[in-house]
Amino acid sequence: MLVTGIKSKPVYTPLAPDLTGRYHLMLGHGVGREPLLRVLRDLRVAAPESGARTRVLFVGSPDEQAAGGEQFRAAGAAEVRLFGRPDELLTDFQDVLTHSFMGTRLYVAGPESFMGLAMRIARQFNLNKDEVRAEECGSAARRVYCIHCQTATENVTTNIVQCKDCNRWLLVRDHYSSRLAAYMGVMVDAEAPGERPDVKEVFP
Amino acid sequence: MSHADTIAVRVVAVEQVTPQIKHFKLAAVDGSRLPAFSGGSHIIVVMRDVDRVHRNPYSLLGIPGELETYEIAVRRMEQSRGGSQFMHDTVQVGSTLEIAHPVNLFGLSKIGRKHILIAGGVGITPILAQMEDLHQDSVPYEIHYSVRSPEHAAFLARLGNRAAERLNVYYDSSGDAIDFDGLLSTQPLGTHFYVCGPAGMIQLVLAKAREWGWPESHIHWEQFSAPPAGEAFDVHLAKASLDVHVVPDQSLLECIEAAGVEVPYLCRGGVCGFCRTDVLELDGELIHNDHYLSDEEKASGRVIMPCVSRARCRKLVLDL
Amino acid sequence: MSVAFKPDETFRDDFTFRNSPHAIRRFPLPFPEDKYMYSVNIEAHRPGPVGSVIEFAIDVDEHYVAECRERALVLQEDPLRFQAMPHMMSAQWDCLELIMESLSRDYPQHFTLERQGNRWVWTNRPLGIHQAFTFGDPATLPQQPLDYITRQVQGDWVVMDQREGDLWAEAGMVTTQADWSLNFDIGMSFKEWHGPVPLAHEMGVFDRALKYLLGLRLNEPVRRLNWTMTVNPRLDTSPETYHRWGTDRGSVTPQNVGDKVHLRVELQGLWRLPRSNGIVFSVRGYLISMRELATIPKWAKRVHRVLRDLHPALMDYKGLTRYRDTVVGYLAPFDDGAPTTPGTAPE
Repeated sequence: MLVTGIKSKPVYTPLAPDLTGRYHLMLGHGVGREPLLRVLRDLRVAAPESGARTRVLFVGSPDEQAAGGEQFRAAGAAEVRLFGRPDELLTDFQDVLTHSFMGTRLYVAGPESFMGLAMRIARQFNLNKDEVRAEECGSAARRVYCIHCQTATENVTTNIVQCKDCNRWLLVRDHYSSRLAAYMGVMVDAEAPGERPDVKEVFP
Repeated sequence: MSHADTIAVRVVAVEQVTPQIKHFKLAAVDGSRLPAFSGGSHIIVVMRDVDRVHRNPYSLLGIPGELETYEIAVRRMEQSRGGSQFMHDTVQVGSTLEIAHPVNLFGLSKIGRKHILIAGGVGITPILAQMEDLHQDSVPYEIHYSVRSPEHAAFLARLGNRAAERLNVYYDSSGDAIDFDGLLSTQPLGTHFYVCGPAGMIQLVLAKAREWGWPESHIHWEQFSAPPAGEAFDVHLAKASLDVHVVPDQSLLECIEAAGVEVPYLCRGGVCGFCRTDVLELDGELIHNDHYLSDEEKASGRVIMPCVSRARCRKLVLDL
Repeated sequence: MSVAFKPDETFRDDFTFRNSPHAIRRFPLPFPEDKYMYSVNIEAHRPGPVGSVIEFAIDVDEHYVAECRERALVLQEDPLRFQAMPHMMSAQWDCLELIMESLSRDYPQHFTLERQGNRWVWTNRPLGIHQAFTFGDPATLPQQPLDYITRQVQGDWVVMDQREGDLWAEAGMVTTQADWSLNFDIGMSFKEWHGPVPLAHEMGVFDRALKYLLGLRLNEPVRRLNWTMTVNPRLDTSPETYHRWGTDRGSVTPQNVGDKVHLRVELQGLWRLPRSNGIVFSVRGYLISMRELATIPKWAKRVHRVLRDLHPALMDYKGLTRYRDTVVGYLAPFDDGAPTTPGTAPE
């Protein structure tokens, strides 16, 4: 069974402004602030008139919010909304998408599990690959979907993990479902009960 | 398309719907139900003229669920290869034709949240069938139909009955024009648009869409892919020891088959690779139109896909 | 033709599944040569020899009734084995039509379809089903159309939507799979869905297959064979139930290998769907035990050589690592080293 090197694992690339877009909507989490600032600054150089059509939704600690709010505005964002919790941001994001127009480009920067949840919402609005860009930064912790009991365990940083619902030890595979915003977890000792590799941190 | 794949049909109704457009209804000669299809599909109509065979694509404009007849509309083209003139001048009620199974290269996005259908002139034909598909769903749509003048507006009653207030008609004669900026600037996310009409109109819409930031995956336009015609050329088949003349409006594969040589194939559309043939000698250049060979293979001049590709040459020898 | 069904066979617990001599001789061996590697081995799905598994578009064999019962058992435990996204409804009706038309045309003594416009009446004699319904109106069937009809046919069915130059697996009935999960994979693009397959991506297999399938035509279905191996004649080797069957792989011994280990061949069919412009992918599994296989001398030699020389990555992917050597040991005495004739015919 392939564990790594599976092609469904998302590939992320450093963010850059997409000048074919008309409206620029940016989502950031924690250290995801830096890539978004870079996009805003590059955008201001390449297409100064587009500054008026930029909007940032950012989630972070109180300090990150304070610093981010100022920096985003200074970099040219027309509108900045700050949040203390990811779920608050995602609820607002849904509302923003409801009122957005075709021509919008979405930029997401942050930990993969945050981006996965944001992309899942974007997908419901039929935002396709050519409308969304993402850069992974921060924790590589994964959401892991237990294939046996159909529940997701959050913030998994290890090669194997115990399912929070059915308690089976799951091997975390690179097979990724954007519909579930999660990696596949499959029982690690199904063939030889009790035979488990050591727990190692692999997604810091 | 080989003849085994075609369906024999009889023309059961002909109506002149505008000064330039005739509307045909076709039924299977054996009385059976025609294959189901999706909105945006076209068929290839095979017309046996006195001295040659025409194979033209026409969009199916009828209701996809009603399969007693297929409906097509043919605009008389002044500089055509002759197919539209044949349809206008020779084909009448009772005439028999052959058609291939429908193919859809202009399908609706099933996950789209809104659809904007834009037609110019006879470009309304695939839009009519798309409208019927959309009518089955609850997804919002609009039709924008631009024509020269009221007498050129084909199928207005049918459009009005189905689309009602979702239909917008623009007459050049009254100075109306589709306001593309207004149409494309404030559409909700998940909107798709579809355009079929004169090349100039398509170019204009595409340019406007890009200006307003529309991504390619939400933009659709009609684009037929059939073996392109070209200059005549001669080919020698080495194993069969046969010389074959390839005429301008038939593919290399069709001419090889007409000479009695079998070439394996599946798709006849430049994709499957089954008819890939080695080139033994070439004095001239190959014109590759397939999607199968790599760029290196195409540049090598050593291999060709005879279903869609041709040659401009003094000599061509194939390993057949 | 009339099929003599074996309605009491089981694919779990006591595993009473067996092949008759007729079923063995028509088994679709997937190895035309003594070695195996991936290829885009797609061919037109045209009617094949009388009595073969490709005589008709959809094969119904002696295991039909038992396999339909097994499917019902799996669904009872895990309803997520059938799923369809809302935009796949027209494709669901396309599939229902394809299956009903094929079965009633090719097996008229077992199945009948009467069509009067949209008023359809379906009769399935082996399963004792008689159903009048309105084509296009899901409320007139006891389940969604794809769910309804795939409970009455062997093999798994995956329906793909075509858009953005890709194929998206967005509906399906999957209860007899070789270790992949519809519930996890639904909604994926073609290459995402095939992500866990080793080597083939690097070989460009999926690029070519996708390109080819995007151009698949109505009325010109295609097919290919694929294979793996399964311990016990278990149809439901899903990731969902891996915790139940995983230990099977360690249970193979030289004493039981002949009856326990099965070659599992998938006859995969692909049809363009007319109303939805989607594509349906059918994966019909055939099982044969090593003991049954060895009754055909050429096949015993052929399979011995294929398994002995199999690429390690494929061995791992197909889950053979724990028992491949035992199988090779079982088949070795049947292999005299003499050349085999080309092709898969039993000789």
